[in-house]
Amino acid sequence: MVKERVHKDIIIIGAGMAGLTAAMYAGRMNLDTLVLENGIVGGQIANATGIENYPGFISVKGADLISTLQQQAENFGAVIDEFDTIQKVVLRENPKIIETEEKIYLADVVIIASGMNRRKLPLPEERKFAGRGVHYCELCDGHMYQNKIIAVMGGGNAALDAANFLTKYTDKLYLIHRSEFRADEVTQKRIRQNPKIEIMLQTEIKKLNGDKKLETIDILDKNTGVTKNIAVDGIFVNIGVVPNTELFKDELKLSKSGRIPAGEDCKTEIEGVFAAGDVREKEIRQLTTAAADGTTAALLAEKYLSKLKESI
Amino acid sequence: MVKVYTVEGCPYCEKVKKYLKSKDVEFVAYDIEKDAAARADCIKLTGIDGAVPVTTIDNENYVLDFDKKKLDELLCL
Repeated sequence: MVKERVHKDIIIIGAGMAGLTAAMYAGRMNLDTLVLENGIVGGQIANATGIENYPGFISVKGADLISTLQQQAENFGAVIDEFDTIQKVVLRENPKIIETEEKIYLADVVIIASGMNRRKLPLPEERKFAGRGVHYCELCDGHMYQNKIIAVMGGGNAALDAANFLTKYTDKLYLIHRSEFRADEVTQKRIRQNPKIEIMLQTEIKKLNGDKKLETIDILDKNTGVTKNIAVDGIFVNIGVVPNTELFKDELKLSKSGRIPAGEDCKTEIEGVFAAGDVREKEIRQLTTAAADGTTAALLAEKYLSKLKESI
Repeated sequence: MVKVYTVEGCPYCEKVKKYLKSKDVEFVAYDIEKDAAARADCIKLTGIDGAVPVTTIDNENYVLDFDKKKLDELLCL
């Protein structure tokens, strides 16, 4: 099948907070804008049960916040395609080429806002128990553990929020983390006041055991050096994220952490290619800074496009 | 009739439903957290308690998760 070739002013890769904000701004500037998303619209925050640090909201579900933002972007004319998968990108040509399963897109500007993916549990048994005791989406799979024993692994805000959420299903939840919590004080306090949660810090999961599904785990207490075996029906893994930059590794120089180097102007080493949100190498990665990046990238992309059109 | 077993708030369930709508496929969505009979049907179909989203058209073959290629094959899209 010969793929249809379609030209766009801007293609935004990723429909998380940064990508959708960029789409909203680009749409408002009447630019022909397409957002391609290989995973879930909303990215990491699609799973967030209650966001309390986004200005203007006391508390908002990630899905609700992102749904509104998607609607805003679409109202201004941006198109969001979450079903076609990107196969290849060529960024050093003009126009830039984004090849998907169904089409070949040509774009004058590309904004990379591909975000991060959750890090997988680094144990050989992970594959065996994935979906059968090892999970990454508490909203999707938490209900499987009604009145069962749950463990959450991780020490950041996402892990603690997941633990709190999952206690709606169980009276016994282990919160296991290899060092001290990184989550903010408000979230930690909430966890420490939840009687259903047993906190196990300085603790590592060493092995998963079970026949067809997870039954027990071996955990190492790093303070005492003692390993013990405890019964657990399901583990929800929240041990950080990895940048989603696999598609770009042959096109752009990546930082040591795998992110895309770009300054506060979001400009990468290639003219007309911007990096926005968590995928950009920077010190602070929050929803608010992702929105700021999306704004910056779209506004500077429009300036670049104007100059490009003048020069033709 | 196409059936989709889901739970509320599951982003992958939403993605399957949005995909079917984009293809004009009529379907009935069941929330297995609230519907015990649907949950039992889903377990019978997949052998896994609670895994969602699950899409089926014949109560025999099914697609677990959002997998466009497999959904297209299952539903002849």
